[in-house]
Amino acid sequence: MSGFRFYRPDTLAQLLERKQKEGRRARILDGGSNVLVYVKEGTIEGGTLVDVRRLKALKGIAVKSGHVEIGAGEVIADIIASPVIRREASFLAEALQQFANPLVRNMATLAGNIADSSPIGDSIPPLLVLEAEVVAAGRQGRRVIPLDRFFTGPGANVLKPSEVILKIRFPVPGKGRGCFLKLGLRRGTSCSVASVAVWTQTKGGAIEEARIALGGVAPTPLRARLTEELLKGRKPDPELLERVAGRVQHEISPISDVRASAEYRRQVTAKLLAKALRHTLRLEE
Amino acid sequence: MAKTELYDITIKVNDRTVSARIPAETTLLDFLRDQGFIEVKRGCDKGDCGACTVIMDGKAILSCITLALQADGASVYTVKSLGTPQRLHPLQKAFVELEALQCGFCTPGMLLSAKALLDSNPHPTRSEIREAISGNLCRCTGYQKIVDAIEAVSKGAYR
Repeated sequence: MSGFRFYRPDTLAQLLERKQKEGRRARILDGGSNVLVYVKEGTIEGGTLVDVRRLKALKGIAVKSGHVEIGAGEVIADIIASPVIRREASFLAEALQQFANPLVRNMATLAGNIADSSPIGDSIPPLLVLEAEVVAAGRQGRRVIPLDRFFTGPGANVLKPSEVILKIRFPVPGKGRGCFLKLGLRRGTSCSVASVAVWTQTKGGAIEEARIALGGVAPTPLRARLTEELLKGRKPDPELLERVAGRVQHEISPISDVRASAEYRRQVTAKLLAKALRHTLRLEE
Repeated sequence: MAKTELYDITIKVNDRTVSARIPAETTLLDFLRDQGFIEVKRGCDKGDCGACTVIMDGKAILSCITLALQADGASVYTVKSLGTPQRLHPLQKAFVELEALQCGFCTPGMLLSAKALLDSNPHPTRSEIREAISGNLCRCTGYQKIVDAIEAVSKGAYR
């Protein structure tokens, strides 16, 4: 322990230079709700704790050329309260209300939840159905990574050691409806056993667009694209939704752990999905 | 082993300026307790229980997962900023009279989460109260009396 240094860059250029030099040894710290736990557990041993909380380049929530853009330094509570998000993507604001608890929401950032890359990061399935992208920056320049190609395993992603997340963006959602359902072992502050996000849009009574994302049932959060295809063009009725939702079990690979068994996760995911679809397609009993 | 680098830090705690030289990984909770603010409680020490809640720059946060150096220059308020034994804060009066505590360990955090709620939403519903304290664990009371106390204050029963 105690091999840590502290660095607070004043500009994005300083941050990128430090990351270029130290790579993963320079750990970005904003809310700290993950990183400081890792420091205490000893998972991170030494290096530089890089405080980006005051970095203006990472702030801001705005609509830019058809995309909603959320700066990497924006905390969950501020995103929920943002007039831009409430107006353009109220589904995201609703979904993020289920994130941790008010104390953590005052600290944790959306980018931090993505960078942590947990299979049960609760901001991720809602962002996946919004077709979000990660804008990453390094000394060599910027690149845009679709969120569904960002994760490579539990706690792992495609970011290079010298790169940082600059912002998260997604196309301004159309007329569809979204729903995020999270199943925990209790209501407050619980890790998800499984979670489901759904976005659907109908035209002339048929399902025109269906997007499904799942958390907690595979090494990474993921889109259930095969199941999505089974819905497109169909007229929604409860029986169809139940049957199609059951098929989602073929797209997932849950594990058994302290919170639930793999079999339970398989079954409950189908139930959550059917419920979320009934909700967005207004077929609620 | 290389010698530990130390960093200067100045934080305003309960309107009093406090300075120290600390290692990088010192949490705000460690800093506050080392400086004598032992009313800030160490529970789980990993962001799960809310016992270490303080108000920093107007927001209720967890001091055990905040780096002290990240609070450099900030204003931090602990439960002692609410009132004194002679002049209790309405929330403190309500907690005492409605028996919203038993062992008292979660109480500093509960009170500060309640204060943050009432500052931004003076007339919350019971479900909004429950949500507001959902990051603060109490293993004694079962929460009912805590919610009652906060609700009583929101309805003006304690001043």
